[in-house]
Amino acid sequence: MLLTFTGPLLAALALLAASTAIGMIQVAKIIQIREAKHELKQGSAGFLRSISGWSVIFIWFGSVWFVATIIGDWGATGDLEGAIDRGWIRLQILLEILAALAESD
Amino acid sequence: MVSAAPPAATQSALQCPKCAGQSVFDPNTGGLTCGSCGHVRDLAHPDDARAQIEHGYDPSKPEDEPASRPDTLEHHCATCGGHVIFTGQQLSEQCPYCDGAVVLVQPLRGYDTMALIPFVVDAPAAQVYAQAWATSRIAAPSDLAAQVEPARVAGLYAPFWTFDSREAVQYWAKYNTGSGDNKRTHSISGDMTVNFDDLLVPASPHVTPLIRDGILHEFQPDKLRSYRAGYLAGFAAERHHMTVAEGLEANRDDKRLLIRNRIKRHINRSRVHSITFRTDTTGIHYRRILLPVWILHYTYAGKPYKIVVSGINGRTFGERPFSKWKLAGYSALISAAVIGFGLFWGAAGWL
Repeated sequence: MLLTFTGPLLAALALLAASTAIGMIQVAKIIQIREAKHELKQGSAGFLRSISGWSVIFIWFGSVWFVATIIGDWGATGDLEGAIDRGWIRLQILLEILAALAESD
Repeated sequence: MVSAAPPAATQSALQCPKCAGQSVFDPNTGGLTCGSCGHVRDLAHPDDARAQIEHGYDPSKPEDEPASRPDTLEHHCATCGGHVIFTGQQLSEQCPYCDGAVVLVQPLRGYDTMALIPFVVDAPAAQVYAQAWATSRIAAPSDLAAQVEPARVAGLYAPFWTFDSREAVQYWAKYNTGSGDNKRTHSISGDMTVNFDDLLVPASPHVTPLIRDGILHEFQPDKLRSYRAGYLAGFAAERHHMTVAEGLEANRDDKRLLIRNRIKRHINRSRVHSITFRTDTTGIHYRRILLPVWILHYTYAGKPYKIVVSGINGRTFGERPFSKWKLAGYSALISAAVIGFGLFWGAAGWL
């Protein structure tokens, strides 16, 4: 039982470490967007430039969430291959959403 | 023959009529104030009503605005290339734009300023605004306030344009609908008119559009005053060095970005992309003006930053460092939340 959870637990921790490192740039972007919304003239060129690129934040969220769903599925069923197979459908939906968001950026 | 001192006419204008002391412009009194006896002279002038006048520009005709050299030496910054003048006594050996050392040089050819908005916010208030801005930053290094605290603001009249224009825009764009196999790309085109009124454009490479959009949210032409040297006394100033055509060119990217944004709003659909447009510009009017800013320079981890405060209303914006540890902390918290949500979703077997 312990061994069954060790793999998903380690994978979740590794994902947390990787996401934390990658996410630092996105957090800085979130703060810049917040500052732009509060401090820059709305609709100005500087404002538009500062808020552009926000879709990268959702790509970060989506990617981390997607990998976490596979780990969650793996932890619950103990079947990594099956979890990855089931993840493909989720991935297709996620990519559609992210593509739509990127088009709106 | 040029000299480091202001012209004799300017010098005598800055001299107090009561005690012959040197006067400087005081934002608190709104007048030329004697540093010795405190006598205040009002700088209001009947011509002030004309300060709002805009000048027409026809790109197909040669510019007839004469360039001139001032009869005082300019201070040139070897670090950023800035050229500033000090009216009255020289205030600093440092460049107000970048804090680099300045040296006296022969003046560049430039253009006369048409109008300016005088300082309303004084140095102590600007210092407070700059400090408050620095200390209110999210994820800033804990010692940022201590680094900013010893830095002092420098007052500067920065050159700006105001531009009016009427843009007859013809555009073509695409937008997507649906998803998966039902995803469709549609073409759309249209015409629209965009009127720009008093679009503020920095006439100096040392003032970035981001700084402008941070501190100059609203522009009120009725606050313009006709140019007089007395307003500059006690502050640095940069003269206008660009022709109108160069000013319009400097604003080209910003204007295209604003037009692109207006086109998106005009189409009023989501997922719009591949926008191309053609614009016919008419009705160009401009002003060469000076706007008051306070600039505070500080360094953090060896890197220079600046905070700029509007001398009109104290609105503040600037450059700031991030704390890597705080960014990592916020990132870990957000990551943990997203991962927790994903683990739950996957364990529940949802699609």
